[in-house]
Amino acid sequence: MSEIKPKEKTATKDNEEEKDWEAAKAFFDNLKTKVPRPPKPQYAVTIAVSSRTLFNMVAERKIFEDEGVEKYVAFQVEHENDPLTTGPAFPFVKALMNVNTRLRNLYPDSEELFDIVLMTNNHAQVGVRLINSINHYGLTIERFCMTGGKSPIGYLKAYMTNLYLSTTPEKVTEAIEAGIAAATMFTPKQESDLSDTQLRVAFDGDAVLFSDESEIIVKKHGLDTFFEHEKQFENKPLAQGPLKCFLEALGKLQRKFYAKNERLNCPIRTFLVTARSAASSGARVLKTLRSWGLEIDEALFLAGAPKGPLLQKIRPHIFFDDQMFHIEGANELGTISAHVPYGIGQKYNKGKLIEEPKKKE
Amino acid sequence: MVSTVTNSDVKQKDVDQAVVVAVTFAAVFGPEAEDGSTVYRLGVALPLLQVLQRVNERLLEKNPAEHQLFDVILITTDSWQQQQNSSIINSTRHHGLEISRFCFSTEDNYIESLVQNNVQLFFTTDGNEALQATHQGVPSALLDKNSVSCPSEQLRVLFCEKAIIQPNMGSTEASKKSAQNFLAHLGQMRQKFGVFDSPLCFTLVTSHGGKDSCCCALKSLRSLGVSVDEAYCLGGAPRGPILSLLRPHFLLSDGFSLLEG
Repeated sequence: MSEIKPKEKTATKDNEEEKDWEAAKAFFDNLKTKVPRPPKPQYAVTIAVSSRTLFNMVAERKIFEDEGVEKYVAFQVEHENDPLTTGPAFPFVKALMNVNTRLRNLYPDSEELFDIVLMTNNHAQVGVRLINSINHYGLTIERFCMTGGKSPIGYLKAYMTNLYLSTTPEKVTEAIEAGIAAATMFTPKQESDLSDTQLRVAFDGDAVLFSDESEIIVKKHGLDTFFEHEKQFENKPLAQGPLKCFLEALGKLQRKFYAKNERLNCPIRTFLVTARSAASSGARVLKTLRSWGLEIDEALFLAGAPKGPLLQKIRPHIFFDDQMFHIEGANELGTISAHVPYGIGQKYNKGKLIEEPKKKE
Repeated sequence: MVSTVTNSDVKQKDVDQAVVVAVTFAAVFGPEAEDGSTVYRLGVALPLLQVLQRVNERLLEKNPAEHQLFDVILITTDSWQQQQNSSIINSTRHHGLEISRFCFSTEDNYIESLVQNNVQLFFTTDGNEALQATHQGVPSALLDKNSVSCPSEQLRVLFCEKAIIQPNMGSTEASKKSAQNFLAHLGQMRQKFGVFDSPLCFTLVTSHGGKDSCCCALKSLRSLGVSVDEAYCLGGAPRGPILSLLRPHFLLSDGFSLLEG
């Protein structure tokens, strides 16, 4: 899986990049309305969100599907001064902004902040409505890519993205295959009251933070073999999963609060919500995290019980899981869930192997 | 003395409605041209020439009576080049390039030539030539080895904002007016195609300002008749990786300081 940020660069590139950076810094410092300037990409934790995760574009999407792209663009342009309503990633983005405010207070000169980038396939003309909507809600999103129909994957890399959220499963799969942490967001069926002082992120374990090696054993050989295997290899760390680097990035920011004596008041809290049971297979997970030097604030072992009710109590701004079964369960009870299309879980539904329809050429 | 020669192999365009584009000898035929042969090899301008031809083809497909097409002329910018006129004509016809006219001028009178031929965009590999032409009111763009890897199916035009912190390059009133005129033409050509599958694509990249500068630029260009297709707001992020993905055929920036504010 990818490093947090790649570091290879040549000297001349560095020079040009520094000039660009200094010019942007000066631009923002000179603005009359003091808007926080975007952080330096190689130090920031960059989160790319698509337009449909940030805003509710269900009605507009219908126009696109029923009447075609020309009518869709024309409609958006006609309504560009009407702000859109919010989408599933909106609370997550607000929570990220809050963490940034706290970080800027404690470390005014640091570039280690969250950087939120709007990454959309939309045509640039639709972009005007998106920018107007961003301004309407006072979101600090200063970077964006409107690719006019092209795949965002190359741009995700160019912006050094740490996490990509979209409503399109194909794009998310492409991102994961390219080594970028990504998940497909779903709108929950109920509203829930989320914290506005603390970012709360929940992760499933296998095939999200960790590889799917253990899940393969469950699917192919059953639970008993799985338990024996995990006991036997308790001290062997699991391999990394697609979201490990994102947890790592969150941990890095958490430690900045601890360093300033803010552990009890830390505005970031992480949760592990796993179907494993503490007694038989939980130790390996905790030991793996320890071997990676990562902390997780709360580890919840459900031993196969449904995740929905527990997540309802936790109320995370986002919950990552690789199995649609858990996503749907969480969604029903109001948790904002994001599907990570990785590993063997994709071939199964509720424990049964999905019959793949013959692929169209 | 400037002489203008028509290329009889190519159908001449309607002078009033065509968008005249001039490309220098050095861009069309590249440095190996001077090795004494009579048929020159093609230089960095090849993808550009191909794509301009492609745009014309697509415009004519839509409307066989279309007159608002790209009209490409080859121009020499020094006396040595001026003297190679027959080799230049031969080589052009040998390669089947859609160049309708040749302007054999020298370093002293090439700009006058550009003006007289109503050139709306001047392509060169020489930075000085580009600067001088722009000052005299002819929008110019630089071609280099990066131009070789540009696509030949879609003309990609990149608009970049003028950075706040940069010495004032001093565009004149004349160059502003001709730039706006050229943009209006490009915008009209683009309008003839739909959102997707267009042989022309306009991209805006703002390097230093925030989302509001970018939004302003989008609306500004819209008011000049250009509907931008793709927009990237970098806010200080490195532009190299983005540019290498975008592969524009040319950049329009300084002649278009009207994008500012």
